[in-house]
Amino acid sequence: MTLWELAEASARTLRDRFEEYEVIVGNEKEIMLKLANGEPSVTQSWNRYTITVYVTKNGKIFQTSLSSTSPGEVLEKLDTILATLSPSPLYAPLPEPTGQDYENTDERVIEIVESGDLSRVSEDLELDQARNWAGTIRLAREERVLVNSNKASLHGERTLFNGYMRVFADEDSSGQWSWTSTMYRPDIAKKAVGAAARLAEECSSLPKRKIESGNYRVLLSPMVAGNLLEVVARSASGGAVLFGFSFFKKEDLEAIVASEKLTILDKPRDRELPGYSLFDDEGVATRDKPVIEKGVLKNILHNSKTAKLFGAKTTGNAGLLMPEPFNLDVAPGDLKDDEMLEALGDGLYITNNWYTRFQNYPEGLFSTVARDAVIIVEDGKPVGCTSRVRIADSMRRLLSNIEGVGATLWQIQWWEVSTPTRLPHILVSNARITSE
Amino acid sequence: MILTPEELTPLVDKALALGASYGEAAFHRVKGFQIILMNGSPITASYTLSEGVRVRVIAGGSLGFSATDSLEKHDIVNVVEKAVRHAKTTASLVSKSVEMSDERLGRARYEASARKDPEERGGEDLFKLAVELYKSIDLSKYKVNIDSFLLGLSYSIEEKSLATSDGGLVESRIPRLEVFYSITASSEGNRANRWQQIGGSGGLELIDELGVIQVVEDDLRSLELYLRNAKTPPKGRMDVVLGPEVVGLAMHESIGHPSEADRVLGREAAQAGLSYRRRIMPGEKIGSDLVTVIDDPTIPSSYGFYLYDDEAVPARPRYLILRGVLNEYLHNRETAAIMGTHSNGSARTEEWWSEPIIRMANTYMAPGDYSLEELIEDVKDGVYIKKYMEWNIDDYRWVARYVGFEAYKIRNGRLEEPVRNPALEVNTREFFSSIDAVGSDLRFYAGTCGKGEPAQGVPVWMGGPSIRLRGVMIK
Repeated sequence: MTLWELAEASARTLRDRFEEYEVIVGNEKEIMLKLANGEPSVTQSWNRYTITVYVTKNGKIFQTSLSSTSPGEVLEKLDTILATLSPSPLYAPLPEPTGQDYENTDERVIEIVESGDLSRVSEDLELDQARNWAGTIRLAREERVLVNSNKASLHGERTLFNGYMRVFADEDSSGQWSWTSTMYRPDIAKKAVGAAARLAEECSSLPKRKIESGNYRVLLSPMVAGNLLEVVARSASGGAVLFGFSFFKKEDLEAIVASEKLTILDKPRDRELPGYSLFDDEGVATRDKPVIEKGVLKNILHNSKTAKLFGAKTTGNAGLLMPEPFNLDVAPGDLKDDEMLEALGDGLYITNNWYTRFQNYPEGLFSTVARDAVIIVEDGKPVGCTSRVRIADSMRRLLSNIEGVGATLWQIQWWEVSTPTRLPHILVSNARITSE
Repeated sequence: MILTPEELTPLVDKALALGASYGEAAFHRVKGFQIILMNGSPITASYTLSEGVRVRVIAGGSLGFSATDSLEKHDIVNVVEKAVRHAKTTASLVSKSVEMSDERLGRARYEASARKDPEERGGEDLFKLAVELYKSIDLSKYKVNIDSFLLGLSYSIEEKSLATSDGGLVESRIPRLEVFYSITASSEGNRANRWQQIGGSGGLELIDELGVIQVVEDDLRSLELYLRNAKTPPKGRMDVVLGPEVVGLAMHESIGHPSEADRVLGREAAQAGLSYRRRIMPGEKIGSDLVTVIDDPTIPSSYGFYLYDDEAVPARPRYLILRGVLNEYLHNRETAAIMGTHSNGSARTEEWWSEPIIRMANTYMAPGDYSLEELIEDVKDGVYIKKYMEWNIDDYRWVARYVGFEAYKIRNGRLEEPVRNPALEVNTREFFSSIDAVGSDLRFYAGTCGKGEPAQGVPVWMGGPSIRLRGVMIK
């Protein structure tokens, strides 16, 4: 059965029973190579079908989410289930389907995914060379069909090639970097691996030093800034604001929330980034838009439901329940690569992080742990390498303290940055750092 | 349609015929109902079904895995062929062959029961219960504004079948109930959020058995204290008493994860990271004699309950720290073979698409015999951290941070004023070594533990009693 046939078959059973319905059918074919200790640990592949069914009646909402190709029995029970519910305060009518079909694929990715043979990738990335590395290489073809009671009938297809690599110079000296694209781009993958290797080697060549807790100037690599700015962009989702998972308030719209150096855009129409889509989960046309522009919060991301509650219009960021960004793009600044450490002066170059957690979402109090190389910089020169430090600060304070933005852009997506993000290094002054 | 272990056996045979030296095939289904209320009104209800087949093989000494949620015969056959092809493709890049340890594998069927099963009435009972649960919470008792109160209830049934080429045949059925809530409140110009997960294996009866209403009301009381009464915490080195919620998390983070043998061997280095247990070996002292930490999948009604793991190895309690001394790792068959030992049944999967990897189940510190009052009365100047919100740990699992949500100053053996956000930052050896008294009040807390790529979340319990630490750093 094709995706269209699956979607139409599901829609037929819903058409006369509900005021509104929507069916999104997806198929993802994916292959992933995992490496550890310098060699493959496992190769995995998936052929995954997903069916999301959304129905409403008298303001009541019910959703079904299936990872299966046989929805029949479930769809028959929907009326009974809906009868037990009361109207949803989130309900808003499905909007006009303004989205367009899209195809943004790379035949080379499709060929590798369909064949299940990663030999070419191994050769292109020179995986057989002796190096202590660990990481993941992932290629996928994603296709989806959306039909709904507003006569939406949309089809999208895209590919992706992304991964990340952690390179060890020794047990205490490592670097990690990632890449992402809709296209098969061994060039950016090799550049990312090279960046990780350089950091590992630099950390290994420097004396290991402990630092004291305190306030520091910090240069955040695109891996670190990608993690933190994804949190910022997701905090600008109407759902996050509504449900208390955000340090933004409704009133922050058009207010200064960051340094004027910072501009973050949500760019669903960026063909290079794997979140590419011309329609959202309500069938609405996506559009590129600033989230923060020169420090001002320009958009809270909405679907029709959160838009109704905020007295706003959808921004084409559905999520049937929660609005979400598609691709993030941080505007470059003027700090050239060879000027960044000089601009940092005395401080820390934090190259990777994980485990960002909030003590208090509304007040934006958080901490995150550095991993891999943390380079100690004095007078613009690397003088040591440290580890296990944290940024423990408030998100608003950190955003306000952005002092400089790099000129070179990287495309990042990994474990700690799930939204494809293009961004540079970010220089922050006066960041609160804790150390062991 | 559920595929039985016997129906999966031909897939394993086919893998062997294609050149695999080991094969396993599994069917995995998770189905369930969920409802989410916002301020007492259902914003949505949902039904979820995830089912599919996965095949994992060793061929040419390399590991291959493929999975699909299409149960069409040709798609399933394709999965077997792909798993073998994947393994063979990378075989030339592998220096040491992957092997599975020899085990007495299960040939068994088992299930946990739900005494009140909402599936029988299409989820209706669950939806009604969620509304009743919310109504039974008296919000007017608390002097805070509730800005938003998100309450989710979900019930799921996990059904699995497994066949391995060396004789494992296991089938299981485990129902689970999960409550999730997130409360955002404000008072006195302050705003804060508290979220919590409560869960176990069983049915709707767990709402009462796990004391859900009491837990929510206690969190509302904590929010009120945090927003209205909490003062600036003391800083510096001092004695600290931790409540079971913090201790449970610390057991999960500071000894559970680092004991995962795949992490010790570097297999998760680029994702969840490495472990201090690469350097500090079993038999070495890590803590005081009072510290014994166990991971036990066999606790009835627990969130991390299972009797056979996803490689058909029988489950048993694992002693990670025994009287202050580092003890066994958590093993699957791959890491057990590398270290020349036996698996202790720690391989788990989230769903059909998941590779079996080493996971915790229910990790806890064994209780002692102190009451909370006795722990506190011997502290001259310190802090009691009862609950936390923010936490993290570095990827070697060496330096952890736990920030108090409900916390108090201790003066001369007495609890005094509530304090806001005291941050305990401590390395693992210091944490375990500074424990000089262990309480008797063992409690468990539910969580969804993340690991692997693609990231898998599996249900776990984290538990412990209250404990006392001498002379640790509050930042």
